[in-house]
Amino acid sequence: MTDLRTNFAGIELRNPVLLASGTCGYGEELAPFLDLSRLGGIVTKTITPEPRAGNAPPRIVETAAGMLNSIGLQNPGLQGFIVDKWPYLAALDTKIIVNIAAPTAALHAEMAARLDDVEGIAGIEVNISSPNMKDGGMLFGCSPTASNEVIAAVRAATRLPVIAKLTPNVTDIAAIARAVVDGGADGIAMINTLLGMAVDWRTRKPILGNITGGLSGPAIKPVALALLWKVHQAVDVPIMGLGGITSAEDALEFLVTGATAVQVGTATFIEPGGAADIVAGIESHCAAAGISRVGELVGTLGV
Amino acid sequence: MNEPSPPAIDVQVRVVATTEVAEAFFQTRLQVPDTTIRPGQFVQLRPRSQQSVYPFLRIPLSVAAVDVQQQTIDVLYEQVGPKTTALRHIAAGDEVGFLGPLGNHFPMPDPGADPVAVPVLVGGGIGVPPLIYFGTSLRSHGHEPILLVGARSANKHLPDRLLEPASADVRRASDDGTLGHAGFVTGLLQKALDEPLSSPIVYTCGPHGMMAAVARLCAEREVPCFASLEEYMACGFGVCVGCVVERANKESLPSPYGHYARVCLDGPIFDARQIVW
Repeated sequence: MTDLRTNFAGIELRNPVLLASGTCGYGEELAPFLDLSRLGGIVTKTITPEPRAGNAPPRIVETAAGMLNSIGLQNPGLQGFIVDKWPYLAALDTKIIVNIAAPTAALHAEMAARLDDVEGIAGIEVNISSPNMKDGGMLFGCSPTASNEVIAAVRAATRLPVIAKLTPNVTDIAAIARAVVDGGADGIAMINTLLGMAVDWRTRKPILGNITGGLSGPAIKPVALALLWKVHQAVDVPIMGLGGITSAEDALEFLVTGATAVQVGTATFIEPGGAADIVAGIESHCAAAGISRVGELVGTLGV
Repeated sequence: MNEPSPPAIDVQVRVVATTEVAEAFFQTRLQVPDTTIRPGQFVQLRPRSQQSVYPFLRIPLSVAAVDVQQQTIDVLYEQVGPKTTALRHIAAGDEVGFLGPLGNHFPMPDPGADPVAVPVLVGGGIGVPPLIYFGTSLRSHGHEPILLVGARSANKHLPDRLLEPASADVRRASDDGTLGHAGFVTGLLQKALDEPLSSPIVYTCGPHGMMAAVARLCAEREVPCFASLEEYMACGFGVCVGCVVERANKESLPSPYGHYARVCLDGPIFDARQIVW
């Protein structure tokens, strides 16, 4: 038996496998297919200060070994989340990390302060990386200064662990990582989706209603690993690795490269119960390799 | 309109047989553990091994027929891309990933109405399959549905033997005039609604433009119309919020959060008046 318990920035996780924001809603729709108590935790779909309708369809298109999405953060807003979504999540036997996004640093801080009063939230993940938000998201995450300001504002407004979710769509992700750590981030989640586009040459139109979207799925795993390796060398805070994980072996590759925990994202769309299989797979692979604590693997990549 | 639907299951099922039923149209019969599926519901199939990543997403297909005795269901599809190609090539006896049943279902005409409404099913191309199962179910409940079927050409029309269980009154249209009414299936609908039918109720599934025309005709004549929609879909059970359709009555909603409905979970069947065509 391998001990899978993982401490991530003060959050005690049953195991290092969480569901990624935007791929598990607010938990409820997945419950018929997946025993959520088998996971380390779930990260909610992004909430914003006010409710958002999201982008015009089409919002989804399949690409080679992955997909593009341009959902546009359709969500019930902070108040709607607390009233309608939180009671279900609060009753789950797993750690709940709430993902937030807002158009300004001050509004991020207001959201964090409000969530600080909600009993049972394990942490806040700050989405400074959505490619589908014209008034925030990646706008912040592409600038070290703006990233630092948003994270510092959130850090000052809450007692909860603060996790900055980074975009891969930057020149120097290590600089962004250092900026969020300077701002007080307790951890980093990476990567969000890669900016992408699909085109129909016959109609000479983009397929997505929003023209561009975010690429996810196995296609982006090598990109995620390379960026994880860079960030792991640049900062000392724990990292949640994500990007194209569909199997236990994928997850183990992220751990070895420097992730303390991993998030399963797009894979859940195809295998709604898959994250629990990944937990079981990590345990059996570790046991077979004689690893007594999963944490022993973290950042052991020899280069 | 939503009676509780049976719970969805995530399993591997066996392909019994795949046969070509019209040009590039295939029928795949699947051995399933539970045939409790309501007409209009769909399944998400994964025509690849779990370890492979191509084709990546599942393929959503509505159920065209259910055989309770044999414990099988049929899906009907046109071979158009990698997923339908992969599905048609799965050998009899081999497995395919099965997630379902998903979504809501066609609402039955009100049995207490006087007179009871006459169901008119309007299908186009790859939209015909769910209407076959629904028509079959309507007949088993004592209704006599009219089935209007449109296709590009005679060789794209499903054979009589597949449509007969759904209706004793099948009327066909083809875009190129090679079978039945020359023109769109909406021409057949117009004629049907001109007949002295006692209170028709329309159910439709097909290409977006066709359904929009059907919805418009029904709205003009104040005939109830339910449409089974299709959108690019990732998960099929509501988490990704990708397969959305714009709601028509936005002003009455409490927040913008509800402006888009999920085809997979809030649908695929919608009252045609409640969405933006």
